[in-house]
Amino acid sequence: MLRYILRRLILTIPVVFGILVISFMLTRLSGDPTDLILPPDAPDSAREAFRRTHGLDQPLPVQFVTFVGNVARGDFGDSLRFHQPALDLVLERMGATLELAAAAMAIAILAGIPIGVIAAYRRNTPVDIGVRGVSLLGQAMPSFYLAILSIIVFSVWLRWFPSGGRGTWAHLVLPATTLSFQLVALLARVTRSCMLDVLGQDYIRTARAKGLGERRVVWLHALRNAFIPVLTVIGLQVGFLLGGVVVTETVFSWPGVGRLAIQAIYARDFPVVQAVVFLFAMIFVLVNLVVDLLYAAVDPRIGYK
Amino acid sequence: MPQRILFGAATAALCSALSTAAVAETVTIAQNFDPQTLWPNGTTASDNLNAGSAIVESLFWQNPATGEIEPLLAMDLEMVSPTEAILTLREGVSFTNGEPMDADAVVHSVEVFMDEEQAPAYARVSELLESVEKVDDLTVRITLSDTYPAFELALSQISVTPPAYWQEVGLEAFSQDPIGTGPFVLDSWVRDDRLTMSANPDYWGELPAGIDELVWRPVPEDAARLAGLQTGEFQIVKDLPVSAIPMLETDDSVSLVTVPSYRIYQIGLSSHPEPVSPLQDVTVRQALNYAIDKQAIIESLFFGRAFALNGQVLREPQPGFNTDLEDYPYDPEKARELLAEAGYPDGFEISFKCPSGRYAQDREVCEAVAGMLADVGVQTNLVLLEPGEFLRQLRTMELAPMYYVGLAPQDDPGFQASQYLSSWRYSPIANAEMDALIEAGATEADPEARIQIYKDLMALMHEQAPIIFLYGGVDVYGTAAGISNLAPRGDGRVFFYGVSYE
Repeated sequence: MLRYILRRLILTIPVVFGILVISFMLTRLSGDPTDLILPPDAPDSAREAFRRTHGLDQPLPVQFVTFVGNVARGDFGDSLRFHQPALDLVLERMGATLELAAAAMAIAILAGIPIGVIAAYRRNTPVDIGVRGVSLLGQAMPSFYLAILSIIVFSVWLRWFPSGGRGTWAHLVLPATTLSFQLVALLARVTRSCMLDVLGQDYIRTARAKGLGERRVVWLHALRNAFIPVLTVIGLQVGFLLGGVVVTETVFSWPGVGRLAIQAIYARDFPVVQAVVFLFAMIFVLVNLVVDLLYAAVDPRIGYK
Repeated sequence: MPQRILFGAATAALCSALSTAAVAETVTIAQNFDPQTLWPNGTTASDNLNAGSAIVESLFWQNPATGEIEPLLAMDLEMVSPTEAILTLREGVSFTNGEPMDADAVVHSVEVFMDEEQAPAYARVSELLESVEKVDDLTVRITLSDTYPAFELALSQISVTPPAYWQEVGLEAFSQDPIGTGPFVLDSWVRDDRLTMSANPDYWGELPAGIDELVWRPVPEDAARLAGLQTGEFQIVKDLPVSAIPMLETDDSVSLVTVPSYRIYQIGLSSHPEPVSPLQDVTVRQALNYAIDKQAIIESLFFGRAFALNGQVLREPQPGFNTDLEDYPYDPEKARELLAEAGYPDGFEISFKCPSGRYAQDREVCEAVAGMLADVGVQTNLVLLEPGEFLRQLRTMELAPMYYVGLAPQDDPGFQASQYLSSWRYSPIANAEMDALIEAGATEADPEARIQIYKDLMALMHEQAPIIFLYGGVDVYGTAAGISNLAPRGDGRVFFYGVSYE
């Protein structure tokens, strides 16, 4: 088990290097940040001074070697706009993003899985059809639209929740539900189809035949067997969540990494973009490792050597 | 039972009294972005400057209510000669860390302002500043390398910082934790969430009445800024979308403040030798001006919240605005005639570059313009550009021959005019007569003579038509009931001098 984890961690090294290369190249391809950061009438001498200060006047290979060398020491460089270390800017906002993503994931799991189970159990009843319809809608509705709609309804009309910002639990409700909406729909659909498959298996009939209660049959015997694909989807959707926070954080003025990232991209703030991409990629790699390890916990037949 | 109800009602009343008292002291302002720096000379972006200059003040300020440049930390400016200025400073002002605001502080601040490494965003404004020296504790001499008619405007942008603190922490730390002489001091800053300032109890001037605390909130989404204004979460909201105006006009709890923006929207028509295009012919450029229905764009895309340009790039309050000029009337027939006269009876095809997502309704404006041009036979190939790429192409003039742009230079006719100087990097025209006027205006010390120069320049530019004169933008602010005297400036600047809240 330990050796497996170690091997997986060693395998992430080429992934990390790939991420560094890609994030470096893509930001450089987008153009010169000087155009966005200085006013269009700034004299050329001021532009050169700006490039010099930030090392942008160096040849690209030199910039890349410096960049990788610095990253190895945990330094992603200073933000071109904030004049602060890029990594600090990202880490400062990571708490807010993780809070939002965790809340959204919790809502998705606590709502999506039971809904899926019930829909499968009551297959082809109005409940099932209703769930299928709503989850189709949930997956199809763009999240920015849902976000603005929920602000208008729940904060402007009903005045239940603040329209944005971070602070109390009330601030968390609208962004977390909006962010989780598509995920709830997806988990409900996946759970439903896996449950349908499992509920038709022989061992479920056996469980019933030996006199177990329906509740025990469905929630323990069937759900546990249907859980592996659901777990895979949850793991993969962490990536979706980290992408989704960009929109949700912007609409709800949530002070997280997603919003920092989008502003950094628009302003070509290279060091910040690189730090965000790197950290998000690391989270994704780690979550996938954790999901693989969880397989063993859910299904005793799976083991790692 | 009735007693309990009474008790409940009394508690509710008490709570609401307490909460209104607390609300009355805090004013929350929603802007697009969180400031990147609170040092006002760090950038020219208004969201940064607004927050920063509540703490760090400048020598003078341009009061939007009067349009005049008025004393702030400097009391008086005397031009001993066209290139030598004597500044008298306000007596008895201290920074909030106890350092005196005196000649040493101003010399330090001007030197930082003049340094391209430290203040690259202001390099164009500080170009003509040559040196600065202390005369006595409250007097400073600034020497210019040439006559500088917009010198006062430059002085209004020099923010004054405490030299000892600056030396101690450096530019970067200062921009995150500034110390100034202003009406507010920094309390706390949760990045991207809220920036809290409290009133400076030792402020040298008059504090804004009824505001104990200022909270700046970055709210990037238009709809969310609007929602927060309606729910009372924000008392001042910057940059409301024009489409929200009709709805807000019926809402008694909010007021709208609209300000003509410094940003002048235009279609650049490059007549440079490269790239070759029909726009090199002045008749064609005039024809295109006749082909555009400016009023229709203002009415239908901006709900009337934009202003006509009167065929020039100077705005009415600016010196040099030429009252004899009028917009080219919308006359497609005349446009077709002129095109035929220039040898294009069937029109022509041309590339038209347009930013997408940089200005309000930019894409829609371009599509409208393209449609109107097609109507007179000019087929445009519309190219939409991401804002960053757009700015790069503007700087290198790759936008030529035809492009949509909104330019908001400093509020002085000299800065406005110099954008059409042949040698300027994104001037659409190279015209010797215009150059002569622009250069004369840049060094003319006599205000009356200067006004005449710019009037002549506007007339010549109208005739030469290096651009299609489109419209001036209007900025929309929303304020909650109780906010008075908020007078934002056309460059997106919000000041708190004289503002009150009750």
